[in-house]
Amino acid sequence: MADWAPPVARPPTPPAPDPNAIVVVANVTKSFGDVVAVSDVSFTVGPGVTALLGPNGAGKSTLFRVMCGLTAPTRGTVKVLGVDARIDRAVRGRIGLAPQQDALFDRLSAHRFVEVAARTHGVSDADAAARQVLDLVELDADDPKPVGAFSKGMRQRVKLAAALVHDPDLLILDEPLTGLDPVQRNRMIRLFHQLGDDGKCLLVSSHVLDEVARLGSRVLVIAQGRLAATGDYRDLRTLMDDRPHRIRVATDGARVLAAALVERDLVDGVSVSFDSLMVDTNDVDRFGRNIAAVAKQCGVRLREVEPTDDDLESVFRYLVERR
Amino acid sequence: MSGVVPPSRAVQLAYGIVLRQLVTRARIAALLLVGAATAAIAVAVGASDDRRDPLETGVQLISSLHFTLLVPIIALVFATAALGDMREDGTLVYLWLRPMDRWPIVVGAWLASITLSLPLTIVPLVISSVAVDGGNNLVTATVLAGVVGVIAYSALFVLLGLMLKNSIVWGLGYVMIWEGLIAAFGSFAAKLAIRGYTRSILTSITDVDLDLGDLSLTVGVVVPVFVAAAALVLAGARLRAMDVD
Repeated sequence: MADWAPPVARPPTPPAPDPNAIVVVANVTKSFGDVVAVSDVSFTVGPGVTALLGPNGAGKSTLFRVMCGLTAPTRGTVKVLGVDARIDRAVRGRIGLAPQQDALFDRLSAHRFVEVAARTHGVSDADAAARQVLDLVELDADDPKPVGAFSKGMRQRVKLAAALVHDPDLLILDEPLTGLDPVQRNRMIRLFHQLGDDGKCLLVSSHVLDEVARLGSRVLVIAQGRLAATGDYRDLRTLMDDRPHRIRVATDGARVLAAALVERDLVDGVSVSFDSLMVDTNDVDRFGRNIAAVAKQCGVRLREVEPTDDDLESVFRYLVERR
Repeated sequence: MSGVVPPSRAVQLAYGIVLRQLVTRARIAALLLVGAATAAIAVAVGASDDRRDPLETGVQLISSLHFTLLVPIIALVFATAALGDMREDGTLVYLWLRPMDRWPIVVGAWLASITLSLPLTIVPLVISSVAVDGGNNLVTATVLAGVVGVIAYSALFVLLGLMLKNSIVWGLGYVMIWEGLIAAFGSFAAKLAIRGYTRSILTSITDVDLDLGDLSLTVGVVVPVFVAAAALVLAGARLRAMDVD
């Protein structure tokens, strides 16, 4: 748990200087009119794979756009490789972005699209570079079909190839696994790790917890525009398991079972209705191990034991509320 | 492996990308039809017997039809789409997030727009000038005014495409309401309309009097070129400052 750190410092302070930092986000807020998309976010990212986890609409894409200079922060600063990508022309050649939106030049072939990306990045042998990265994402460089006729998964891989073609130092991949089948997903995750091991900095967003588990050990959790937590994925998992859980237990002896659970100190709170009880517990494992035995001892039947807050939204809500 | 893209190369790249995006069968076919319709009207006028002065009739027709509709509308369709469509469909990021200056992107888009607009306007203009039997002066005047008009309108509408959503509607409003109605009421308003200058080129070369076409040939050519340059500078600044999706 050593480096697991819900970012609670107030007033916010910029991240401490990190000689390995490739991205430095300091107190960034981004508003669109009255809507605050990103609120006072600070973190640094170094080489390797970092996952940006958050539900849809949490502000992940806005944060990526600010990093790339596609939009200016309302407050705060973002430095990529030491400079502001919105101002510095050269640093834009060191960023590879696979945006979330599905837009491509639909009438171009995959090879032509990636070759154009290479040329606009000043790559000397654009044709060879395009072929190489298309091979990397397992697309046929000689396929004449326009990308407008491609499946969602193929379009994702075209975007990825275009982001990779100029060998950038920083890769920003916004929901890159969306639309991929499980086999492609595994291959892409392996590719991300390989690039991270080669010293590239990859920021990969996702709203799917299982994806993030496989993307990398370092995780930034963003919810409601705020950085809810940062740290190692395993610590996030532990935190999620250790948080208070609410479980619904359907039974024919709700009052008897509730009394027994309280007596054995298996719950932190319980509310009883006609045929069920709602249980709050901080130790869901202990509760799970004992509930069947307690019910048997009480002579009551369990019809259903169901966590009511195990979805990702609940986790995010919990992380935000505990700040 | 990669590096900063020099401006001349960036112009070429932007030109190629935008040109490819602009050429759609539906768009070209629709605009060919517009050109063919204006040429057909000119042929019909040229074939009628009740014209006292073919040159004057030709100038009147070309001024009120071709330079009111054909030239601005064709430039509007291509130029607003040049960067406006990419801005709206989210593909602008593939030009924006690149190690290149902004102004070559604007210039490339403008050149692509002109490349498509010029043949689709100049060919019907020449056919119409010949069809009304206005002589060489009319052909020269319409070609020069057409080129100047396309250059200026294209730059203005590239800027408009970067400034506003539904820019084609706003551009139509400018062409129809400002140029078509308001600018027709006075010489000052006409000076704020490209049509005032194309009309002046026609009158200067053909010596046919037209309302609100009283500027010299030099002014008629130079001012729209300056307007185009200013619009391109503004478009470059807009592209630098704007948010990109």
